[in-house]
Amino acid sequence: MLDGVLNFDLLDKCSKCGACFDVCPSCLNIEGYDPRAVIKDILAGQSGRWASSIHVWQCLECHQCLEMCYQHYGFENAMTAMRLYATAKGMHPPQVKRGWDMFVKTGRLGEPAAAGRKKLGLPEPGESGKEEFLKLLKLYREAKKGSQAQ
Amino acid sequence: MKEFAVFWGCTIQARFPFLEKSVRTVMEGMGLPYRDLSGFTCCPEKSLVNNVDHGLWLLTGARNVALAEAEGLNIVSPCTGCVSNLSTVKSELNADPRKKGEVNALLNGVGRRFEGRAGLSHLVPFFHDEVGAQRIRSAMKKDFKGMRVAVHYGCHMMRPSHALKNDDPLEPKKFDNLVRTLGAESVDHSTKLMCCGQGLDRVDQHDTALHMARLKLRELKNRAVDAMVLCCPSCFLQFDNNQHLMEKEGERFGVPVFYFTDLMGLAMGYTADELGLGLHRVDAGPFLKKWEEVSSRPSSRTAFEEEMRAVTFAMDRL
Repeated sequence: MLDGVLNFDLLDKCSKCGACFDVCPSCLNIEGYDPRAVIKDILAGQSGRWASSIHVWQCLECHQCLEMCYQHYGFENAMTAMRLYATAKGMHPPQVKRGWDMFVKTGRLGEPAAAGRKKLGLPEPGESGKEEFLKLLKLYREAKKGSQAQ
Repeated sequence: MKEFAVFWGCTIQARFPFLEKSVRTVMEGMGLPYRDLSGFTCCPEKSLVNNVDHGLWLLTGARNVALAEAEGLNIVSPCTGCVSNLSTVKSELNADPRKKGEVNALLNGVGRRFEGRAGLSHLVPFFHDEVGAQRIRSAMKKDFKGMRVAVHYGCHMMRPSHALKNDDPLEPKKFDNLVRTLGAESVDHSTKLMCCGQGLDRVDQHDTALHMARLKLRELKNRAVDAMVLCCPSCFLQFDNNQHLMEKEGERFGVPVFYFTDLMGLAMGYTADELGLGLHRVDAGPFLKKWEEVSSRPSSRTAFEEEMRAVTFAMDRL
């Protein structure tokens, strides 16, 4: 089910290496966090069991593993694939849902703080690209629908 | 120097306008030719957008780069997340002409085109490579000699390196060089390159985020640094706001947190007020007080030279 998102050949080598474990801040500091177990399950076709796990959201996307990896692949690709999978199943954290909703409505994750900016004597912020973004989003969704229908 | 566009990103403008003030004050003080562009959206952020829809993440990033390209400008950002996201989008699309074509077919519908040529820099490597030590030194009125500062790079200043290509991803040097140019000691510490952990706050794991912040703050407290310096609004949130939250609960760290331009601005002679330092949650006062004491004390070199002059004078009279 994660075919096309993940390169299973690289992931297979990855499962036999694990060099990045010792540079991963979450592996070193968060109890129970171990992408090696996730990768093992992905390769065994058992990735579904991780969809609801908080651990897939504990990858900090710091790219330390990517830099350490001799394949330039690292744990992060497996963890990102699992987050996309969890999201597709609607199992992503409420805060991610709220962030996404705000993004697709406004094109931003927060509006410039008008009062605070005025107090500091900052100039008016650049105009938002909201309208153009929403138009682009509509085009994107139509194209996506079209390619899924094919 | 060629004119450039500043990409402020959502977090600085929405949550930390005083950081924007600090960056603008320094850029204006140095006469850097920056421009505010209209029409930027969220970069977009990785954990909240790329984890839901990779295609929209690419398309939005490409549109932001296209806005600067239409004006013939490069982008400089004081946010590590923004510059890392935009660079990763640019790198992925430049490596895949088919994907780039699909993105441009959609952008064409809103009259935009992504060329993938604009230079994208974070403010720190930009100061290091483009502004340069000489120009920085000539803008300084005072240095930080005698002050011990911990540099926190922030992961996305130089990673992923295939996209950013601006420093060693596992042993970066540029931020340290800048802090030394300002005259401060860059204090080495084992958690220097450790991710701040703020991402956990964005996925409803606040306690784990605090745990990660604590690991670094404890070490910095033990190393008796005078402050930490960073240049990322997300790391700032983690170490300033979250440190304040933990201090309210009784844990004492006392590590003031500065943006790179805060230190730069102070060295240029701007006051704490002009740089918005009073709006930081962790009190910058102890740092400023020590700095005043240290800089009003004659340096050991000056004292030595004065003594030598006195001795030479005495010898001349013999």
